[in-house]
Amino acid sequence: MSNAVSTAEKSSMAAAGGPVGTRGYKGGGLAWLTLPALVVFVVFAIVPLVGVIILSFTSWDGIGAIGSAGLSNWLSVFSDPGLYNSLGLTFLIMIASWLVQTPISLLLGVFTAGSQRYRAALAVLYFLPLLLSSAAVAIAYKALLDPNFGLATGLGLPLLAQDWLGVPQLAVGLVIFVIAWQFVPFHTLIYQGGVRQIPKSLYEAAQIDGAGTVKQFFSITLPQLKYTIITSSTLMVVGSLTYFDLIFVLTGGGPGNSTRILALDMYLRGFRANLMGPASVIAVVLVVIGLVLALFLQRLGGKDKQSSQLEGL
Amino acid sequence: MSTTLTSAKETTPTPPATARQGLGFRMRRLNIVGGLGGWMWLAIIIIPVYYIVITSLKTQSGYFGQNPLAPPSSPTLENYQLVLDSDFARYFLNSVIVTAGSVIPTVLVSFMAAFAIVRGKGRFLKLVNGVFLMGLAIPLQATIIPIYLMIIRFNLYDSLLALMLPSIAFAIPLTVLILSNFIRDVPNELFESMRLDGCSEWQTLWRLALPLTRPAIVTVAIYNGLQVWNGFLLPLVLTQSPGLRVLPLGLWTFQGEFSVNIPAVLASVVLSTLPILVLYVLGRRQLLSGLTAGFSK
Amino acid sequence: MKQSQTSRRSFLALAALVPLAAVTTTACGTSGPGSSSGGGASMWYLTGEPNQTIEQKAVDAFNSANPNNKISTTFFQNDAYKTKIKTAIGAGQAPTIIYGWGGGTLKAYAEANQVDDLTSWFDQNPDVKNKFFPSVFGAATVNGKIYAIPNQYIAPIVLFYNKELFAKAGVQPPKTWDDIMSLVKTFNGMGVAPFALGGQSRWTSMMWLEYLLDRIGGAGVFKAIFEGKPNAWMDPAVIETGTKIQELVSADGFIKGFSSITADSNADQALLFTGKAAMMLHGSWTYGSMKKDGQNFVQNGKLGFVNFPTVAGGKGDPKNGVGNPAQYMSISSKASDAEKESAKKFFKDGILTDTVLTAYVNTGSVPIVNGIEDKLSTSADKDFLNFVYDMAKNAPNFQQSWDQALSPTAAEALLNNIDQLFLKSITPQQFAQNMNATLGK
Repeated sequence: MSNAVSTAEKSSMAAAGGPVGTRGYKGGGLAWLTLPALVVFVVFAIVPLVGVIILSFTSWDGIGAIGSAGLSNWLSVFSDPGLYNSLGLTFLIMIASWLVQTPISLLLGVFTAGSQRYRAALAVLYFLPLLLSSAAVAIAYKALLDPNFGLATGLGLPLLAQDWLGVPQLAVGLVIFVIAWQFVPFHTLIYQGGVRQIPKSLYEAAQIDGAGTVKQFFSITLPQLKYTIITSSTLMVVGSLTYFDLIFVLTGGGPGNSTRILALDMYLRGFRANLMGPASVIAVVLVVIGLVLALFLQRLGGKDKQSSQLEGL
Repeated sequence: MSTTLTSAKETTPTPPATARQGLGFRMRRLNIVGGLGGWMWLAIIIIPVYYIVITSLKTQSGYFGQNPLAPPSSPTLENYQLVLDSDFARYFLNSVIVTAGSVIPTVLVSFMAAFAIVRGKGRFLKLVNGVFLMGLAIPLQATIIPIYLMIIRFNLYDSLLALMLPSIAFAIPLTVLILSNFIRDVPNELFESMRLDGCSEWQTLWRLALPLTRPAIVTVAIYNGLQVWNGFLLPLVLTQSPGLRVLPLGLWTFQGEFSVNIPAVLASVVLSTLPILVLYVLGRRQLLSGLTAGFSK
Repeated sequence: MKQSQTSRRSFLALAALVPLAAVTTTACGTSGPGSSSGGGASMWYLTGEPNQTIEQKAVDAFNSANPNNKISTTFFQNDAYKTKIKTAIGAGQAPTIIYGWGGGTLKAYAEANQVDDLTSWFDQNPDVKNKFFPSVFGAATVNGKIYAIPNQYIAPIVLFYNKELFAKAGVQPPKTWDDIMSLVKTFNGMGVAPFALGGQSRWTSMMWLEYLLDRIGGAGVFKAIFEGKPNAWMDPAVIETGTKIQELVSADGFIKGFSSITADSNADQALLFTGKAAMMLHGSWTYGSMKKDGQNFVQNGKLGFVNFPTVAGGKGDPKNGVGNPAQYMSISSKASDAEKESAKKFFKDGILTDTVLTAYVNTGSVPIVNGIEDKLSTSADKDFLNFVYDMAKNAPNFQQSWDQALSPTAAEALLNNIDQLFLKSITPQQFAQNMNATLGK
């Protein structure tokens, strides 16, 4: 493509060029290229981020004027047992989701990475949930779970015919299951990619040494997938802070407060109870948790792989 | 695992009659376990999908009267007709506009920024890169309240533009990161030869970096496109008019309006998924790699 | 080559611009209802039959008579509407006509100057003001000024029952709380759920507390809460109310899975008319929807209705009622003068016209206009209509629904705590304490 440039142009450009560097030249002159992205990002991400901190010190009902509130929002939110319920629930769902999804996705990733044709065919179907939005998944499950006309009656399994959305413990379990249903395919895909990058020679060598499949899995596959596991886990953990859509449509935080995770708590306080100040306090808590988790997971992955872990966010 | 050969038949519980040797038998047994697990997971995925599809083809009375898993005795498309008559096309169009209007600018500005970050030098660019990296670690949904306030103040409340601007901002950090990883992979010699040919950095950007990173661009475009296409919180908070509903929000209101008409609700779920399903059928590999956008790179 | 480059760039630029241009036009085409120009006004209303059709017809009739003051309507689902309207008002994008239930929510709008003071308009149009029951203006009045026009019908909460099931069981409708508890045993023994309840909507569960608290502690307890008196929620009557509710829940008084049933889908009513549940405490408006959807359940005289039972030792007057005294419409202060004029014209000529009145009476509702008695007595539903009318007229105290009477913040806390009370995840004491913390908010 570059050969199209005329020689005249070339010579004039060369004359204007600066000293040859190892990588690029007149580096500072490129800064303006970042401006469009920077402006949008600052205005619609950084400013709101600062804004949410400021709003946490104000009182605003979303209808009238914004007034100063000092520390009162912080005091009221932190003395409210609702916060600790939501915090606990957020971490419960985070950890349970990780415990459920990681082994399943890892095994399915290994399984679908196999060369057999039927596995490839299965994989096509495995990834179907990826095509549905969270709202669609939640709505479908609501219909599916109807105790009278839902799946349980069809399968003839009375065990499944529970009041899934009406009993607090069941609702939490259900949320974890539906999250897994929706997101396992995505993580399977990540692991599948990871497994395919493991050099075949490692397995061949192990086979010559007489190592069985189980041993190969633990001595080759797992260690080789270290960074994939960290990436996938980071996505799961930080992503779990924002399972808002699914839970909002599926349970609305109910029954009672039993599925009211932090993101939902923020929305309901702000837009339903008209308490934007306290809702902003929750938002700040969310941001802090996100930052701490990201830094922690990044540590886990080692400094040299910094960027690859951050991709997971 | 990937070295043994299996066929679908082997998933039947009957063990192979002749076990040549210990190792081979163990591996085969493990494959059976894996196969069983694979089929079980398939059931977990496919039964709900099957239920959604067949129920959407049932009449109201069929829904109440038939076994929920039996195929419809008299399949009907009237539910789909009802959904299409309920402004579905409008929601679809809105989703397309918001998705295109978010993804194209995102990719353009991110590509330029990524190029500058990789090729340029100086404290400013380092700072910019740092700002974007920080953006990755923050759950940006947490900023919805100030965004709501700003959108009101900018007089953008209840417009599609109100959905696009924050969507672009949220997508920039990851897009810049992935694109800069790919631009970094472009051999320095190529940049050098461009420079010797007398191209400015601006020309290099479009003539060299862009074509070479095209696969990455398609990938991030798909990834961001799906994020925006499925987004729910921004439309929920920033729009109100029925004429401006995007698909996920439209689905949610259908659910309210058709609440007793479950077949119609599920028909709307199927319809909203069709466009992506078409994409999946046409370009499965590209779509799947788009989903994981460089995560396993 | 150079050319191909520019063309690619311009293509990209074009691709970026096309959707943006589309957005701008789309945004202008359907821009917020508050900013539409010229005559005419916008109004949001609730989905659900038969009322949706009646209101739409009322608007259509008004529009064809007043082509220059057309009202455009948008319909929302009840539970979604309550959040949506607050957000829209906060964003300055409210419809011209703001529909609601008066009370604390209207007070919040009035105090933020989001709705217009209509007092002087009513003074100029005495015939409009005198059209309605005088009592319905209470919930429309904030600090002595009227901020909304009453509309539609009075909607007390009524205890409905399935006569067929009662005959089968050989029992009488409940007169006391003890009757309720023994009926619960009877119906559970028959394999029928005693009470239908759409608990996911939460305000449905609230109706139980409203009546129970009134019967146990009298009208004064909630009055003190409403006025924000210190420790008003800590009244022993509140604790006893909570205890009784949890006893009823423990005795399987409500249908299994009530907390995942939503009232928006009318599933609770369906349980009653399909004989899956024997009784239901619900707003009088459900009479109309059961008549429409219940496959002659109402027409064949199978629907029974009584006043809420008394509680032994309770202080409340058994004739007291709770519910919505009326529905209300306010005018957004952000609307243009032309829009406001159209809205006022609609208030004057379009609301509760004779046709609309008749339509409401025919679906089993009691419109809030003076001199309605004749219409009620000649209706096919006269038993129910007179029951509602007498109840509203003779009630020494008619308590507005709590979630509407209280401020939006206190109402949300209330609904949330009621949900937990019914799930028994908090004790009646905790309920009282949690609510006590919201006093004055």
